Amino acid sequence: MKTAFRNTVALITLSRSINPHSHFRSLLPHFSVAAVSSSPPLLFSLAKPETFRFRRVFSSQRHSSMTGGEAYAPMSMEKQFEDFRIQLEEAGNLRERIRAVVMEIESTTRLMYASFLLVHQSRPLSEVLEKHKTQVDTLKELYRRLAEILCACPGDYYRYHNDWRSETQTVVSLLAFMHWLETGSLLMHTEAQEKLGLNEEFALDIEDYLIGLCFLSNEMPRYVVNQVLAGNYDCPRKALKFLTDLHAAFRMLNLRNDFLRKKFDSLKYDLKRVEEVYYDMKIRHLADEDSTGDNGNQGQS
Amino acid sequence: MWNASAYAFSKISFMASKPKPHRLHQFAGTALQNISKRPRTMCTESYMKDAFSKYADYLNDLNEKRERIVKASRDITMNSKKVIFQVHRISSDNKEEVLKKAEADLEAVKDQYISRLVKELQGTDFWKLRRAYSPGVQEYVEAATFCKFCRTGALLNLEEINATLLPLSDPSMEPLQINVLDYLLGVADLTGELMRLAIGRISDGELEFAEKICRFSRDIYRELTLLVPLMEDSTDMKTKMDTMLQSVVKIENACFSVHVRGSEYNLLGSSDPSSFLLGVPNLES
Repeated sequence: MKTAFRNTVALITLSRSINPHSHFRSLLPHFSVAAVSSSPPLLFSLAKPETFRFRRVFSSQRHSSMTGGEAYAPMSMEKQFEDFRIQLEEAGNLRERIRAVVMEIESTTRLMYASFLLVHQSRPLSEVLEKHKTQVDTLKELYRRLAEILCACPGDYYRYHNDWRSETQTVVSLLAFMHWLETGSLLMHTEAQEKLGLNEEFALDIEDYLIGLCFLSNEMPRYVVNQVLAGNYDCPRKALKFLTDLHAAFRMLNLRNDFLRKKFDSLKYDLKRVEEVYYDMKIRHLADEDSTGDNGNQGQS
Repeated sequence: MWNASAYAFSKISFMASKPKPHRLHQFAGTALQNISKRPRTMCTESYMKDAFSKYADYLNDLNEKRERIVKASRDITMNSKKVIFQVHRISSDNKEEVLKKAEADLEAVKDQYISRLVKELQGTDFWKLRRAYSPGVQEYVEAATFCKFCRTGALLNLEEINATLLPLSDPSMEPLQINVLDYLLGVADLTGELMRLAIGRISDGELEFAEKICRFSRDIYRELTLLVPLMEDSTDMKTKMDTMLQSVVKIENACFSVHVRGSEYNLLGSSDPSSFLLGVPNLES
């Protein structure tokens, strides 16, 4: 019944622009003729307010029949809630649009992750990187669309932030890992923003960036083991150096008891794991020997 | 996992046993390499440290700000609750006096505590820290609407509340405005207070006022049912709706009891309202 009424109101609002008068009568036959005819026809040319006016007539009639005409002004209450409904519906539509883009981002990151996994299988880095770069372009376009949607409603960035948070964290981790493979250094926040084509107006949240870095470290132990398996004995040393620096850097942060803190705690286990691998290599005098031989595989030129 | 890596390492050590003769030579090589690498790694460290000290500053500022906002929010909650209690002291003969005090207290909450919140939030994203201040704002909405209802019998609109907050903000900045969600959550809590008020009024013999409360809370419940599915993260709101329905039903039942037994009350002709209450033992349950 409620939805029926809502639909009716929506229909009135829609159809009124075409031929208000006739539709109005035909759509709502149950309204008393008195109520309709008592509204001066002039008002029908107005856009929104008069729908509420009509509802007000309707509601106050019902109230007066029920209560004996106590005046506590339900009119403004109905009007206000009607306004809220419109506002919230608009917000809902916006959110749908955001989610549509985020779903595309999500599927792109899935593809990226799948091709990223090839690094564990010691595919030539150049091949993996090349694919990665085209995928980053796709991402960039998607983030541009997301930014476009959100720039239309300034100040609402954090209202919808949760909708793209976790996807963005994954994106950062992939970008940072690839960046590390390519350059051997840490992807900075500004660099990550650049890669995604973000700017001050639609920025990458720093906490998201940091969480992304923690995800990157989660991938390290596996990578190191697989690289050693593939004969790249220098990898553990480099990875260990990188993770030690990263861990030291993270320890500069005063964290709250939140998600980032939890992820940071996991970083030290990754570090420990990589240390173990390095130790195993070192103790067998493997770490130093092939450091030059397999550098090509690492791609750190 | 362990087995696999152990296997891997045994394999590696097997494979690596070959190039041993070159070891001495290579040792020198790596030592050199290490030296040449040192400046680079030093700089690696410092660029990370530089960047992270910036992130640390950002996080410190944010967390401190959040902490201050939580405190402000808690103060708002505490003092808004006091206003609500003040309104509950209402009775048929002291209405004006009680409401005057409540309104003055509410004004003080706004000037002392909301203004602090406004100052803290100025220049930041209102939505980012919403969770830190939302409880206080909701409580304030509840207190303000409660006062207003007792005064005029109408629902205080969001626009009206926000208009009173405007003077608190620095005109050069974007003013803090209560958002629709917090307002609705506050209004949802209002019915709980209305229920207490209605029960109190009935035991005080103010039946008409109680019926007015009854209609008012029904209206709120009805209007909100339409909005709940549209609200973002509406789980909070859904539980509030259940509580709200309970409150509304309690008010209705209380009004019903009076309606049905009211004639007996009149017949008895008692001027002592408590004797009437004896006939309605489970009113407060």
